[in-house]
Amino acid sequence: MDKLMADLKRQIIEQLNLKDLKPEDIGDDQPLFVEGLGLDSIDALELIVLLQQEYKIKLANAEEGQTVFRSVRTMAQYITERQAKTA
Amino acid sequence: MYIRSASAISPQLSFQQMLDAPEGYTGDRLRCVEPDYTAMIDPKMIRRMSRIIKMGVSAAKDCLGKAGVEQPDAIITGTAYGCLADTEAFLSRMIGFKEELLNPTSFIQSTHNTVAAQIALLLKCHQYNNTYVHRGFSFENALLDAVTRLREGEGENALVGGVDEITDSSHRLLSRFGLYRANASTATLYETGEKGTMNGEGAVFLLLSANASSGDYAWLEGMHTFYKPATGEEVQKEMAGFLKNNNIAAEDIDLMICGDNGDTKNDKIYQQVRNESFAGVPYLRFKHYCGEYPTAGAFALWLGSHILKTGQLPADAEKLPAPPRKVLVHNHSLNIHHSLFLLSVC
Repeated sequence: MDKLMADLKRQIIEQLNLKDLKPEDIGDDQPLFVEGLGLDSIDALELIVLLQQEYKIKLANAEEGQTVFRSVRTMAQYITERQAKTA
Repeated sequence: MYIRSASAISPQLSFQQMLDAPEGYTGDRLRCVEPDYTAMIDPKMIRRMSRIIKMGVSAAKDCLGKAGVEQPDAIITGTAYGCLADTEAFLSRMIGFKEELLNPTSFIQSTHNTVAAQIALLLKCHQYNNTYVHRGFSFENALLDAVTRLREGEGENALVGGVDEITDSSHRLLSRFGLYRANASTATLYETGEKGTMNGEGAVFLLLSANASSGDYAWLEGMHTFYKPATGEEVQKEMAGFLKNNNIAAEDIDLMICGDNGDTKNDKIYQQVRNESFAGVPYLRFKHYCGEYPTAGAFALWLGSHILKTGQLPADAEKLPAPPRKVLVHNHSLNIHHSLFLLSVC
């Protein structure tokens, strides 16, 4: 899980062009949107693409996004669960 | 119409620098001198902006700042190529992922009206917002829209811009048409008698106002465009008609700003016009400052406005007997899109 969260932090920075941030600046449980990293709806679309591109995971429905993209940890948990189901 | 302020991000650092020593280039393209954008744009917005958007937004903000205007009554831009880097980014991604994945930010930002839209978002400006994509008339039609709106009393002012960028891909593709000359130099651009020119780019914004103010750069007395003239004589006829409509004669012009770009075929038009219709009128060629691109007319207006405001010419230009009071700009893109602007001192 730690390795996956580290990968995700690097990928989020790259995908969203967050040049001023380093992976260690993003907390595992820090909210990604609004009061946390301050991401917005366009970033949410970018994260959906990131999941599909890097992990071949398509979000089953839009409502899932709110819980999946809450933090790096929730993203990592979602990826782990989905990969376990398809294994 | 009064030009209250003019700002550019171009291959020249500033007009002041041009008075000391204009920036020279070698090769087949000129590249804009870019400022530190973090001082001008919210870092949260910068991360999504490609180069042309940053250039456009910064030039627009600087232009408004110089005029002391926070909210323009209209934002109108002209661009021939649009946001090429973003277009390339999302198309490359689509191809790379077999048309299954679209990069949302690049896709959203790739449309031609992104610069005008981003300026509006930054200013929270809900006024008229439009973009013209008309090849070599893109900037001219944006300007015409602004002039028309102000004449009809649609607002006090209008922010008008011309923006185009070079990307490596666009330069490679345009080079295939033989438009550019390898190993060229801005120092000798007009003297080699060869085919081809140097590619250019820039983001220029002007704040137009229907009413005079104390700090105006210049008065835009008139403008005219004409399409695909068949002969040099037709060009001269159009120019004579333009002068007549503005009640002036060739002798009244103190300075012509001409769009020669070093390509012998297209420069012949300018030379014929100067020799036969404007003999003895001093002229200044400007493409060695900014390169050739479809919205270069905006750079010519920026240059003319600064010359009239300061009474000074770039260091490499021939000296005039007195500061110019009337400037005629003649520019054409590939001898297809011709534009004329008449500027007067305020």
